[in-house]
Amino acid sequence: MARPYALLRAGFPYVKTLGMRRVTNDPVDVALDDGMYYVLNRSGIIARLQWDDDGSWDVGDLKPIAGSGAEDGKFLWPATILIDRARTLWVSDENTHRITNITREGEFISKWGERGDGEGRFDGPAGMAFDSDENVYVSDSRNHRIQKYTKDGRFILQWGEFGSAEGQMNMPWGLAVDEMGSVYVADWRNDRVQKFTAEGQFLSAIGRPGSDDGEFNRPTGVAVDGHGDVYVADAGNDRVQLFSQEGRYVEKFIGDASLSKMARDYMLTNAGPLRQREMTSLEPQKRFRRPRSVRVDDQFRMFVTDMGSMRVQVYQKDAEPLTPDLILPPPRSPSLVTN
Amino acid sequence: MAGNGKSLDGNGKQPVLVVVQMTGGNDFLNTLIPYTNPVYYDSRKTVGIPEGQALPIDDTLAFHPQAAPLKEMYEHGKVAVIQGIGYENSSRSHFRAMDIWHTCEPDKIGDEGWLGRAVRKLDPEKENVLTAVNFGRGLPRALSAPGVPVSSVGDLDNYGLMTGIEEKHRMEALDIFKEMYAPAIGSGPVMDYLSQTGMDVLKGADVLKQAPAKYSSEIEYADNSIAKSLRDVARVHLADLGTRVFYTNHGGYDNHANEYPDHPRLMTELSGAIMDFFQDLKQHDAGDNVVMLVFTEFGRRMKDNGSGTDHGSGGGAFLIGDPIQGGLYAEYPSIRPDDWLYGEDMRHTYDYRGLYATVLEQWLRIDSPEIVGGTYEQLSVLR
Amino acid sequence: MAAQDLSLTAHLMRRAGFGATRAELERLAEKPYEELVEDLLHPERFPEVERDLLDRYLSEPFATIPVSVGIWIYRMVNTKRPLEEKMTLFWHHVFATGFSKIQNVNAMVRQVESFRRHSLSNLRGILTALSKDPAMIFWLDNSENHRDEINENYGRELLELFSMGVGNYSEDDIKNCAKAFTGWTFAQPIPLYPQGEFPTEFEYRTDDHDDGVKTFLGETGQLDGSHVIDIIVRQSATARFVSRHLYNFFVADEAQVPAWSEAPPRDPAAIDALAKAFESSNGDIRSVMRVLFNSDFFKKARYGKVKSPAELVAGVIKLAGTHTEPNRGLEAVGVAAAAMGQSLYDPPTVEGWHTGREWIDGGALNERVNFAVDELDDVTRPGIRDIVRRIAAEGGSLAPGRLVEQCVELAGPVQVSGATREAMLRFAQAGGELSFESEDAAERSARRVARLLQFIVASREYQLA
Repeated sequence: MARPYALLRAGFPYVKTLGMRRVTNDPVDVALDDGMYYVLNRSGIIARLQWDDDGSWDVGDLKPIAGSGAEDGKFLWPATILIDRARTLWVSDENTHRITNITREGEFISKWGERGDGEGRFDGPAGMAFDSDENVYVSDSRNHRIQKYTKDGRFILQWGEFGSAEGQMNMPWGLAVDEMGSVYVADWRNDRVQKFTAEGQFLSAIGRPGSDDGEFNRPTGVAVDGHGDVYVADAGNDRVQLFSQEGRYVEKFIGDASLSKMARDYMLTNAGPLRQREMTSLEPQKRFRRPRSVRVDDQFRMFVTDMGSMRVQVYQKDAEPLTPDLILPPPRSPSLVTN
Repeated sequence: MAGNGKSLDGNGKQPVLVVVQMTGGNDFLNTLIPYTNPVYYDSRKTVGIPEGQALPIDDTLAFHPQAAPLKEMYEHGKVAVIQGIGYENSSRSHFRAMDIWHTCEPDKIGDEGWLGRAVRKLDPEKENVLTAVNFGRGLPRALSAPGVPVSSVGDLDNYGLMTGIEEKHRMEALDIFKEMYAPAIGSGPVMDYLSQTGMDVLKGADVLKQAPAKYSSEIEYADNSIAKSLRDVARVHLADLGTRVFYTNHGGYDNHANEYPDHPRLMTELSGAIMDFFQDLKQHDAGDNVVMLVFTEFGRRMKDNGSGTDHGSGGGAFLIGDPIQGGLYAEYPSIRPDDWLYGEDMRHTYDYRGLYATVLEQWLRIDSPEIVGGTYEQLSVLR
Repeated sequence: MAAQDLSLTAHLMRRAGFGATRAELERLAEKPYEELVEDLLHPERFPEVERDLLDRYLSEPFATIPVSVGIWIYRMVNTKRPLEEKMTLFWHHVFATGFSKIQNVNAMVRQVESFRRHSLSNLRGILTALSKDPAMIFWLDNSENHRDEINENYGRELLELFSMGVGNYSEDDIKNCAKAFTGWTFAQPIPLYPQGEFPTEFEYRTDDHDDGVKTFLGETGQLDGSHVIDIIVRQSATARFVSRHLYNFFVADEAQVPAWSEAPPRDPAAIDALAKAFESSNGDIRSVMRVLFNSDFFKKARYGKVKSPAELVAGVIKLAGTHTEPNRGLEAVGVAAAAMGQSLYDPPTVEGWHTGREWIDGGALNERVNFAVDELDDVTRPGIRDIVRRIAAEGGSLAPGRLVEQCVELAGPVQVSGATREAMLRFAQAGGELSFESEDAAERSARRVARLLQFIVASREYQLA
């Protein structure tokens, strides 16, 4: 899909909430399949939710999979979950320094990686993203670098070192690859997002430390949609920020959650919490708390793992792609004449 | 009659209590099921046991299908079910509720456990460091009371000091430990106390070590935590070390979600382990002086939440063993919606401190009022 | 630097903090003792523990109690502000609030954060923050203390356990103290389900506050909670009671708190000195601690106090050099402290933990010894490697006596008895001289050093700070 020349941004409304405490405890990432959502919890348990009926999460085929442990197919400090074209799941684990491949039913397929700082080794593999050939980029957080592998774990290349100059990193985390192959890195402790070529050549950076628009406080996740828009989970500021493909700040999301279906069912059978919810302000309950990752599907729906509030919030982008004949080219100077 | 931690002659063996804690709040309504009552099926749309699957004991109540061994023991008259056990204003917090059961203090924070107090009476001179043995890490509050020594055993096959040191060097290390802790004149009361405590620990471990060595049995316990724990209880009991109170727990009962298949698994594990335990004792002719108390901190809500059940009240407890007159005790809590507490919960019908008093007075033969904090209605449950 | 100074520095760091590595000790001992004390008294001179790392790896704001305990022990081990952390534990110990009733992790963690923030400030500020703390308000039922229905629990314990001690006020004072705190409550927090815990805040309800005239400890007026706290801090009973708590926690084991109204202090002159510092500074804790650490009675009080489980655990970890970054093992460390009898965030009652030899019983000693021995059972641990390196640096081969000497020195220095020394010497002699000549010999020697360190942490003496 070619990138649009520009967009008419009609809006980006909130759609719905999935999950709740106990089902999606400490969610760190979500993988989007056709109608099914695999929510990776920091505990190692992967909850499987459906779009229409997330209340039936534990019945039959929808039982949670994986779990906490060092054995094959379980996780100690999982960070990222991906789904590939063959519809199997990939999970990075910062504690066991492994990348693991499991089926959608949780059966172990394969794993690779071990601790170290040489080529092909990890110290805290955190972010992960596939390129169009399904090679996988991994942010090797405590080695302050990005590594690229084939799917079966063969090392291809690496770049990055500790530091804050262009191309250097400080505990990188979330990763994304756009359809042209560029790599976006949430450079966590440098409070910025860096963009590289597929081979690791520095292209540009967004953000600096702070809490104003376009600034970050420990960004954790990054995503790119089919329009080239860049989404950043700005965890320390409890928000998600949206940037255009040129890196221009567009808007921020602070959270607008409602009750998921399972949360609604829970509340209706619990008299005490029902009363307490009635006694308290809804405001903080809608907001993001330490969002850990942001994902966008091919229908331009944005999924935010709202870790602090133990759920996933979903938003729908509403935008019209524009061709150069519909919109003027960017002017050099602003104009007061806006009619 | 005060215990001295030693067995009496053949007919007068000291009574022994084994406490099994079901941690997390067992769903009593799904353990002993009112299988002919439509309210049950209305309330338990997801986790209810389908009609025809439960194991009836009369025309209103049936055991959970996976609790067949328990039902079998019930039919042999060895199981007393204490229905509707609880207390006023039942706490829905695991920690607080468990504390209340452990300390007999529903209204304030208590710091002494009821069994700790019992042990103080059973062994006032602290003659036996193994008068009470807990299987698990750390001490449950039920067993803790200042000055009452209780042994907590994480792993019976590898119990004692410096177990992290590899076996071939461990004996040498223990020798050094013994020398380092040798009492010395003039080292002061704290150092003397440390010496004494260190020596006690060595002694306790030495005595406990006999248990696995002496034990042999034809019973094959299942491979799960409660079976392992009850096998440990059996091994120590059969070694005849003077233990009067055993304590262990079976976790996982907090079935807010996934009640099916989690709760059936727990029922299988628990009832199988209890059956194996008593058969083991029977084969060794060592069951006639053992009573087991099985309890949980609370029951669960009448209605399920579409996947499991939330914290409630109106639980149930069990007394099991040869000395027990099996049957149903106290009243099954009413499940008529009009009777529900807060419109969602079963009301308790019997105070848990009465059960404790029963066990203390009628089985362990010690006074109960100062242990349980008052006088409560006891049950006539012992043969 | 004379060894005596290092031993004094080690003593200071054990008491004012949670111990120090050998390298830290050597660095610290370069400063005059009084300057070191000033550094400890001014935590703001040093950076905080890096919160972003805790947030990234342990999700601090939304943790469970076991994780929160692990995080706290991580702080004890890694803080650059040891006294701030030790005072935090002190206040938790005195103002004992338990999760068993609170059932709200966020409220417990925030209470302890408040102790950390106020660790060395004026008692007036500390008691004010305490009286406004939601966990404390709920723990001692001040949320049930209404204008028309007094609940005395907080009023009573504030006087009896948190400031003055029994025998220094009347039942009427308690009633009026309770009345002064009517309306001091907290906002209903958002329920735990479905989206996790949210913080709550202090709330003052004018309409539920008894604003009538009250008499408290001889002073009459429209007193409210803050007036009561002002009056409390001015009492000499408060000065003495707080001094005794500080003495018991930092200097030497006293009888348990309920006995204080009858049993005289171990060292009346010491309490006098601390109480005088308290009164002349109008209740400034930093000033009292300055007097305490610079006093002779403190400097002489070495290895006479039973370590709390938290002190033991954190001290062993520092010796082993483990847990220098957030990791999953921290939860297990918290469980270990609980198994030794100290569940942080969950003291057994409002009286807090019983201290001194009451920390020790058979089960607790077994846990203490096994935890310490396990932590030192791996020669690749950075702390052991460092000690081995230092011993190897002596060059040539090392006689058994010298080996024991060095281990005792580098692990503390620990003050060990004759019996302990002889037992260790017997072990050292059985292995002959220590050599680092070949790789094999170095490997064997490292294991022997580690084993000797295990004996040291298993010893009676190591149970004492």
